[in-house]
Amino acid sequence: MAEVEETLKRIQSHKGVIGTMVVNAEGIPIRTTLDNSTTVQYAGLLHHLTMKAKSTVRDIDPQNDLTFLRIRSKKHEIMVAPGNLAFHFLVKSSFYFAR
Amino acid sequence: MTPGKHSGALARAANAGAWRYRDFRGGEKGWWTTPQLVATMPVSPAGSHKQQNFRLNIATQPKKSISFFATMKATSVKGYTGANQSRMAVSKTVLIPPELKTAEKTNPSIKTMQVFDINGTDVTPRPLYHPDPLTGTAKPNKLLTSQEGSLGPEFISSHSLYQNTINPSMLGQFTRSVLGSSTVSKSSVSTSESIAEDLEEPSYKRERLTSFTDLQVIRAAPEKIVTKEDLEKNIEIILTETETLRFFDLPTVMVSVESEEAEKVTQRNKNYEVLCRNRLGNDLYVERMMQTFNGAPKNKDVQCDKIIMEDKGIMSTAWDLYDSYNAVEPLSLSVKPSVVESSSKTNVLPKDQDQRLPGSTTEKNSETSSLMDIENVILAKIHEDEEDHSDAILKSDKFHQDLFFMERVLMENIFQPKLAAYRQLPVLKEPEPEESEDFLESAKREEVEEESKKEEEEEIHAEESTIPANLERLWSFSCDLTKGLNVSSLAWNKTNPDLLAVGYGHFGFKEQKRGLACCWSIKNPMWPERIYQSPYGVTAVDFSIGAPNLLAVGYHNGTIAIYNVRSNSNVPVLDSSESPQKHLGPVWQLQWIEQDRGTTGDDKREILVSISADGRISKWVIRKGLDCYDLMRLKRTTATSNRKGGEKEKKDEALISRQAPGMCFSFHPKDTNIYLAGTEEGHIHKCSCSYNEQYLNTYRGHKGPVYKVTWNPFCHDVFLSCSADWGVIIWQQENVKPFLSFYPTTSVVYDVAWSPKSSYIFAAANENRVEIWDLHISTLDPLIVNTANPGIKFTTILFAKQTDCLLVGDSDGQVSVYELRNMPTALESGRGDIIDTLLGPKSNQPA
Repeated sequence: MAEVEETLKRIQSHKGVIGTMVVNAEGIPIRTTLDNSTTVQYAGLLHHLTMKAKSTVRDIDPQNDLTFLRIRSKKHEIMVAPGNLAFHFLVKSSFYFAR
Repeated sequence: MTPGKHSGALARAANAGAWRYRDFRGGEKGWWTTPQLVATMPVSPAGSHKQQNFRLNIATQPKKSISFFATMKATSVKGYTGANQSRMAVSKTVLIPPELKTAEKTNPSIKTMQVFDINGTDVTPRPLYHPDPLTGTAKPNKLLTSQEGSLGPEFISSHSLYQNTINPSMLGQFTRSVLGSSTVSKSSVSTSESIAEDLEEPSYKRERLTSFTDLQVIRAAPEKIVTKEDLEKNIEIILTETETLRFFDLPTVMVSVESEEAEKVTQRNKNYEVLCRNRLGNDLYVERMMQTFNGAPKNKDVQCDKIIMEDKGIMSTAWDLYDSYNAVEPLSLSVKPSVVESSSKTNVLPKDQDQRLPGSTTEKNSETSSLMDIENVILAKIHEDEEDHSDAILKSDKFHQDLFFMERVLMENIFQPKLAAYRQLPVLKEPEPEESEDFLESAKREEVEEESKKEEEEEIHAEESTIPANLERLWSFSCDLTKGLNVSSLAWNKTNPDLLAVGYGHFGFKEQKRGLACCWSIKNPMWPERIYQSPYGVTAVDFSIGAPNLLAVGYHNGTIAIYNVRSNSNVPVLDSSESPQKHLGPVWQLQWIEQDRGTTGDDKREILVSISADGRISKWVIRKGLDCYDLMRLKRTTATSNRKGGEKEKKDEALISRQAPGMCFSFHPKDTNIYLAGTEEGHIHKCSCSYNEQYLNTYRGHKGPVYKVTWNPFCHDVFLSCSADWGVIIWQQENVKPFLSFYPTTSVVYDVAWSPKSSYIFAAANENRVEIWDLHISTLDPLIVNTANPGIKFTTILFAKQTDCLLVGDSDGQVSVYELRNMPTALESGRGDIIDTLLGPKSNQPA
């Protein structure tokens, strides 16, 4: 448990990470670092997308499964780690570490 | 049209005294259907009761054969007849009027009939059926009372039987029975049994049965005793034909134009038409209304619970089916949650919790009881539910794994250029739409630590060699935990090229702090994957070859511990701290060696060899615990035999220990029996595992403790050593004298390593510099020199196997990854005879 917390903290403290969110299987956010409205919005939208992506992957090959989903846009990059019980979303600004 | 009535007075009208037995067999069918017949028949039992009115116009109808009873079965008539055996011999005639009107109801005028037989005896049948006044069914009486009328007119009796069925519902049965009765009555005498059978069927028949039994009883009484003479007497039986009974007459409505009646019919029709036309204004026809009584309607409502309809939809997908099929098989936890996920979208929280329970981990199971308790409750508790649940989620392994992935991906994002450089992949530029293809090419999925990753062999060096070779710092493994510690050893995992073990611990005795052994992954440079803490400084680490998850760690206090990196626990799998033969001094080097041990039967047994400051080179074997065998005891070489110019003599007597502390060792790449051991004295001994007392050879050249000795991976005659006397020496195996020596700076050289790619290149780490030497180019100067930040000493060095990268550990707890850039391309021949090429510049011998 502590490890999970630590890992979460570490992830959240990275440079460039705007926010993280943990959402349960119904799309209800459990933990978030973003504000409420954004959280709700993201959770609702991304949940459906993730389910769709997962469904797609599994339709092609039922033994396969979705492990990670990344959406890169002009401004941000959204990373989704789907799981059986919870989804973890991470929003970070899409830029790279300058050398 | 059915014959509606009979008229009575038959018996008399019949042949006086003669009972005719009529054979009604084989007649017309279609006699039937006549409930009306029954209805109209008056019934009156003679005894108590109503009398029936039989009006038979006997004389009006010519006798015709009637055979309608053909299909009849035995009925009461039969029994009736059977009872009167004496009577059976008597025939009777029945004359029935041809036309019996249906609607006509005869008055139940009581007319008594009397029947007399030949002898004039009054054999008036008494009524068999005594209607129960309570039942109020007058009509059923008709059946049996008809029988009293006469035996003779069996017709009538059958009629009456028939008439008895007022109830149309019983008609069918009755008709059958009546029919049957008639036939039976005609057929044979002994048909009483069959009658009895039939009588069992409907209940009304039963009534008759009883009455027939009564009848039989009654009839039996006046039975005469049949004497022998009577039997032998000839009895005259006269069979006559009765008149045709017309039971149904449906006159045609069509008349042939040519028939006689045609005129009459047409006339009638015309009259009718005229009548119809006249009807309208005619006074004779008056419209009149009638009011009928309408029964009071009663509304009746029934109320039932609303039938709740629920729509449920599911999309059947390929994976859904797959999951369902697999779920039928022995429960696998991983399947069930996915089944849950793919199932319907009912969002009932408790239900989902229940469904999730099978997929939960053990930690969550303790919460499941609490979850079940809170199942159907208040909002406040539901909130609690969610919290429990969220905790459960957070605790679950899967979430942890997901986080792990997330972190990795994040790292990839952050370190992408560096990692790409490390892996020699095209570096991704700033994200622009045009670069998206590049991204797709180079984007890789993060994998779990235990899985090995395939390297991609893309060359990126497009730059010309105008820029001199340099070390480019990519990143460094460091975190808060490791800050301030001294990196003492580095080791790659043998199977997973991305896994690196780093041991942190100070060298010096005075500087001892806590120690740390970490496993880092290239994929996550910001946090180690495994952290093993210990109170003592770590001085040596090595991964096992045969079991790549075992990490051997040597401590400053002489303990050797073996950790299983698969688990996160801080407890080592094996520990040598209790072993009686543990090392008493710091374990300076550890290495897992695969040795051919033909004698023991195993092909290759892996042993752990350690060298420590107590002068022992030990071999550790994992059996039940860690068992130690000494390979060699490093003895201090006495001054007499090893006197060499410049070396100090060691005095025998004043020695505290006879052992020389061993600092490092290196097994021969080909022959694992031979190994080199460097001591604190500065000697390098070539030893063999077969002898644990004597050295095969001793190489003297260093004046200070030899910190590292390594064989050249390509050229097996050459080895390299570095020591605290600021020097790096290349030796040749046969030659006890140094081959080449380098004294680049006036600082202790902590570590040297050969490059895995070329036999000419090696790297040396001294206190404030990392030097890359390329012997092919120059033996005087290093090719690349990388200076450290002030205050930091480079302590360990390690080449990365597949890539052009170098790992350097320093005294601040950082392990920096450098990339060797613009290295001169390695010659193929460089892998072989380094000696030959170097034989030339032998002028570089140390002074």
